[in-house]
Amino acid sequence: MMDCSTAKSKLFPYVDGELTPELRDQLEAHLARCGTCRRLVDLEVAFRETYVDRLRPDPAPEPVREQVVTLLRELGQGRRASRRQRQLKRLVVCVGAAFLVAVGLSAGIALQSYVGTRTTLAELAIAAVEQHQKLVRDLLPPDIKNVSPKVAEEWFKKRLAFNVSLPDLRTERLHFLGGRISHLREVEVAALEYQVDGNNVSLFIIPEDAYRQLRLKDKPRFKVVSHRGYDVVIWRSQGAGYTLVSEIGDRACLMCHAPEEKLEPLPRPSAHL
Amino acid sequence: MDSGTEFQDAVYKYLNPLYNYALVLARQDAEDLLQESIARAWEAFHRFDRSQSFKPWIFTIMRNVQIDRLRRRRLQPSEEPLGYQKEAEPVVSLENPLCSIPLAPEDILLRRETVEQVREAIRHLPPLLREIVELRDIEGLSYREIATIVSRPVGTVMSRLYRGRNLLRTYLVEPRERPGEKGIGVRNDGL
Repeated sequence: MMDCSTAKSKLFPYVDGELTPELRDQLEAHLARCGTCRRLVDLEVAFRETYVDRLRPDPAPEPVREQVVTLLRELGQGRRASRRQRQLKRLVVCVGAAFLVAVGLSAGIALQSYVGTRTTLAELAIAAVEQHQKLVRDLLPPDIKNVSPKVAEEWFKKRLAFNVSLPDLRTERLHFLGGRISHLREVEVAALEYQVDGNNVSLFIIPEDAYRQLRLKDKPRFKVVSHRGYDVVIWRSQGAGYTLVSEIGDRACLMCHAPEEKLEPLPRPSAHL
Repeated sequence: MDSGTEFQDAVYKYLNPLYNYALVLARQDAEDLLQESIARAWEAFHRFDRSQSFKPWIFTIMRNVQIDRLRRRRLQPSEEPLGYQKEAEPVVSLENPLCSIPLAPEDILLRRETVEQVREAIRHLPPLLREIVELRDIEGLSYREIATIVSRPVGTVMSRLYRGRNLLRTYLVEPRERPGEKGIGVRNDGL
């Protein structure tokens, strides 16, 4: 005869379907005559059905998928082949570079610079969303937290070679959580975490040079891109570029503007990535 | 189907679980760990026993790759699950369970937490416990498969699972109990 204490201690393996047939029979015999233990099992089953059964692994981001596709292709072709391919690519690049130098076309050099290093608005937005997700999930721990925006601003100014100016608006609806020095498309940036009305918002401050390389038009001042349900707003101010990522659209503007301030609505997203 | 195609299909099928497990093992280095694990699994695929499941097999490889990486660096960051291997812990068995009564989830059900809130709370479990809870409750692996992956007896898996699940319930009932948190994360307002 199984007692309540033993029955309760077997609750998890029972619901997991991991008990031996003998133990399961003993437990079920106990449950048939004990309402208290039966209720515990019912609650556990309800908890599993409500939450646990609906849990899913974190999805692999698109860049990771692309990397895996490339890796599998290379593995499939065999390492020797891929090594030969890399050597061939290097050779082609060398020949191409020599040709450009020989011809002496400055336009060609400019083109190489343009193609090789330029980050597009879309790439910046995708990278910012990815970083935002990592920040929210604590995958990128903050370098500095539990300080005021002013203290954080000083901290960044000592470490980054461009003008980092943090919004310092005091409203109960806005909380500065922390920040870290991070990278967007290999550019060093200040990554800042906020909560606006309980919603996570990330602000990335990027060097003005990097912003200029995006080659964006002056108008509209705020560029808006939508990616995976996130709104990405990009603009330039005070000698730096700003990239704001949130799921709350215009409400994220509370980062820099008082709640009572009347603002022009943000333009519609120029792209849905 | 040739073995190359078979391997590729299996990786694509389990890519999300693989990435997720890489995040558990090596938070900031997950992408590298994922790639290195796939490459090593590819080399070992001719030895894979087709009567077994692919997922626990490649998870075991990923864990071993991470152990090798940590050995190479001669550094075991404290937040890594693998850094907890030498910790003494109670072991339970199916025959002689030592567990006390599991925390009833009644309060959590009444609070109507969202699935994402539960997911977020799992991310805040101590790494040693989080690994087992993720493998069981998200990946759906059996106790025995998990024991093989983490190279520990089934009793140890049960013990960690029990502790992890109870701690998770504590977090959900009392969100501020989570280490390193100051009221951030799981909301307690039932929204």
